[in-house]
Amino acid sequence: MTRLTHLLPLFGLFVLSGCATTSANITGAGTQLETRQIQTREYDTLDKALTMRSVVATLQDLGFTIDQADAELGTITATRLDQYTMRMTVTVVQKDTQRISVRTNARIGEKSVADAATYQDFFVALDKAMFLTQHKVD
Amino acid sequence: MIRAAILLLPTALFSACAASIPQAALRLPESTLEVRSIQTRTLAAPSEIDILTATIAVLQDMEFNIDRIEKPLGVITASKLIDADSASEKAGLILLEILCVMGGGCDLMSTASDEQRVTLTMVVLPSLAHDGEYTARMTIQRVVYDKMERIKVLERIDDAATYQQIFDNLRKSLLIQVSTK
Repeated sequence: MTRLTHLLPLFGLFVLSGCATTSANITGAGTQLETRQIQTREYDTLDKALTMRSVVATLQDLGFTIDQADAELGTITATRLDQYTMRMTVTVVQKDTQRISVRTNARIGEKSVADAATYQDFFVALDKAMFLTQHKVD
Repeated sequence: MIRAAILLLPTALFSACAASIPQAALRLPESTLEVRSIQTRTLAAPSEIDILTATIAVLQDMEFNIDRIEKPLGVITASKLIDADSASEKAGLILLEILCVMGGGCDLMSTASDEQRVTLTMVVLPSLAHDGEYTARMTIQRVVYDKMERIKVLERIDDAATYQQIFDNLRKSLLIQVSTK
């Protein structure tokens, strides 16, 4: 029992060392192309303003408040406080003469959201908002 | 006993670092339409500037500071840091602390709510359905900190009465704005 008591601080140190990292991890973990594919959808529309309106409505539907928005650059950053802190940045860019690209990246606390299903859920919500906007429903 | 501890070691290591990304974090809840109707009102106004000015004024009436405005998107974000001290919460904690002292001592009062930051986004845009009308949609959330400045509560405000009160104030503010031009 005494030997076990001596081992306990060592056990604690070992557990903590499992989380230790010296890397600043500035560049993130994902591969560039794969990450972009998961985070991006293209829409057959030319109306950037209405697309941005739909993005803001979607973020509000999901309970976010807007931290920063720039209509010219097509960038919106939003935060949701709901047991945890989730931050998202959405960019709306005109791709060519017929399409608009919407890209989003999300973080929950210190962790980046990498799973495709979460982004898919966001785009399902955005599809609905785009439908309502295009049919002039407030 | 030591063998058991060694066997538990990898589990402890993984659990210490587990990053739990919540499932369905960006899935629309079933209550979306209901919440949207609580958060949205359609208002008639002579111009976009009138309704934006009235919105800013009502936020100032409620003692918010404006953090961001992006006029082309109709987005106004404001926040305020206010007292979150609760007499009933304190009374409960005092009782618990008395029990705690009898059992060896602890500092429960440091977990009492101290202050909260309330953030509000109002999006005011011309109505897509009706000319001369504007839709105003608001989302509110708050962070409550305890006496040690630790985050105690992170939550959205979905209370219909709060939104109704703010929209009532916005209607009054719009009347004042239009009549004093």
